[in-house]
Amino acid sequence: MLTATHLLALMPVILVAATVLVVMLGIAWRRRHTPAALVTAAGLGLSLLALLLVSPMAPIETPLMVIDGLALFAMTWILLAALASIGLAHAYLGGFAGPREEFYLLLLSATTGAMVLVASRHLATLFLGLELLSMPLYGMLAYAFHERRSLEAGIKYLVLSAAGTAFLLFGMALLYAQSGRLDLAGLAASLVEPGVWALSGAALMLVGLGFKLSIVPFHLWTPDVYEGGPAPAVMFLASVSKLAVFVVLLRLVLAVPAFQGLEGVMGALALISMLVGNLLALAQSNLKRLLAYSSIAHFGYLLVALAVVNGATLETGMVYLVTYLVATLGALGVITLMSTPWRGEEATALHEYRGLFWRRPFLAGVLTVCLLSLAGIPPTIGFIGKFYIIALGVEAERWWLVAGIVLGSAIGLYYYLRVLVTLYLPGPRMPRFDAPEDWHRRAGGLVVVGLALLVLLLGVYPIPLIESLEWVMAMKRA
Amino acid sequence: MEIAFYLSGGVAVLATLGVITSLHPVHALLYLIVSLIAVAMVFFALGAPFAGVLEIIVYAGAIMVLFVFVVMMLNPGPLAKARERAWLRPRIWLGPSVLAAVLLAVLLATLWRGDPGPVVEGEMLTARAVGTTLFGPWLIVVELSAFLLLAALVTASHLGQAGSSREPDPTTAREES
Repeated sequence: MLTATHLLALMPVILVAATVLVVMLGIAWRRRHTPAALVTAAGLGLSLLALLLVSPMAPIETPLMVIDGLALFAMTWILLAALASIGLAHAYLGGFAGPREEFYLLLLSATTGAMVLVASRHLATLFLGLELLSMPLYGMLAYAFHERRSLEAGIKYLVLSAAGTAFLLFGMALLYAQSGRLDLAGLAASLVEPGVWALSGAALMLVGLGFKLSIVPFHLWTPDVYEGGPAPAVMFLASVSKLAVFVVLLRLVLAVPAFQGLEGVMGALALISMLVGNLLALAQSNLKRLLAYSSIAHFGYLLVALAVVNGATLETGMVYLVTYLVATLGALGVITLMSTPWRGEEATALHEYRGLFWRRPFLAGVLTVCLLSLAGIPPTIGFIGKFYIIALGVEAERWWLVAGIVLGSAIGLYYYLRVLVTLYLPGPRMPRFDAPEDWHRRAGGLVVVGLALLVLLLGVYPIPLIESLEWVMAMKRA
Repeated sequence: MEIAFYLSGGVAVLATLGVITSLHPVHALLYLIVSLIAVAMVFFALGAPFAGVLEIIVYAGAIMVLFVFVVMMLNPGPLAKARERAWLRPRIWLGPSVLAAVLLAVLLATLWRGDPGPVVEGEMLTARAVGTTLFGPWLIVVELSAFLLLAALVTASHLGQAGSSREPDPTTAREES
């Protein structure tokens, strides 16, 4: 039974869900773009405050969800990433010719799904959270459905995500057939020595989640969806959706022994993801496609943390995830600003960024910092993440994986630097795309500058991030 | 009862194959209805009559009939009559009918032999048990499903509106045609 304590613990999720209803009723009453965005941001902000209030009470277990340190940590970053997406979406949608307010509805619903997903301790909430995260994303990616590319992105994501879900459900059915339980604790207890069925179930679930994370054999949708979807939707997809799915995969790996039996598989997937992702990114002349392949490579690095399960897995995984999240949000944020306001096309081709430094020096600086962080150069936060991952691999003596990371990073450096060089070349006299004149005074400008500062700050002084993760770990042990 | 499970399962697989190999949507839908009824029979054979009845009422009964109606009403016109006559040829309805007849035979045979009870072990799941679970500890799942439907509805209504925003520019229109 749900008690008052449980409801209080779920308050952050409930607040976001309530905001969906408020925004929907607001739209039904009167269509206003800016108030809808403000209400959305306020709801997400309230939810962040509620997280602060709930955190002293953690960990709390409700019948289907658990609000523990990991869930609180992930929810905080989900909400921050959603806020960043909204800050950029508002200016971007200013030029959109159709109804704009539905975007916020979809974004809020997807955020609710992501928050449920990271807090799930039962396969039912895991499945529904994942669906609630993916379903609005179809709408967000196909939001500018008059454009062929956007519609294509939405449909591709829909079809492949449905295929992934089918794998996931089949895997769950196999786990249930072996153990008769659906909650993670029960699964962990009854599958101490996983049989063939449990292992195949876990493998199928890994396939299903791998689709969402775009790990290599399941990555084919990624570049097209990144390229076609509206930039704020892609920001949300690349940050919130991937973060939530990775956290739930981390939870499964840490809790259920059947997943730890797949260490070898995960290692192999990690290796091919980082190599294939980086190699394919080399040939890209489109910035969004390049970031898509780079995200494939980054999830290859992240899988290393899951392939080596020991005491440091959780900390390493989360540090790397945060570094990826902040830098990706920043880089995609700059693309969004360049394409703002919406006019049917986006500034995605690399040559549109030629000479950006001479026109918009600060914006070029933000992109530079974020790309350097993705490449893992100090003093950015990306270096800290790479350091953690390599330390984990070396400690576990998984030399193949470490070699893969080093090789992948070396290849990665080449294409990130190629973009950076383009930024500082002399530019064309009449650029087709440019950020709005007053971009730094708008919400979106503040968001990208803030993200770039965060990348630098956490790169120089990562103690707050590490301390908050130690708090998460302490709660796990207690 | 075990044979009922396997027969219905086989029918479900064959009917689903029919769904994905049929070229015409109406044929596919006929097979899909048979497939759903077969799945309902599987539920009955497993001792979950509530799930079986829901499967029939909700899927085969409401949703699929709606699908069939919509597909049949999509292109009304002078050709519609000839097309409907074509649908009544045996080649089209024979497959689903045979599969449905197998299901009927399974049902009758099971009824004829009296009720031997579910063979698969476990207690019978009643509507009451499902209800108390759903609206007790699983309340959050019900709410989440509601939000899932809401999100789907918003997506569908946004994508479904035609021509409310700007006209498609002539270059893309030419590409499409």
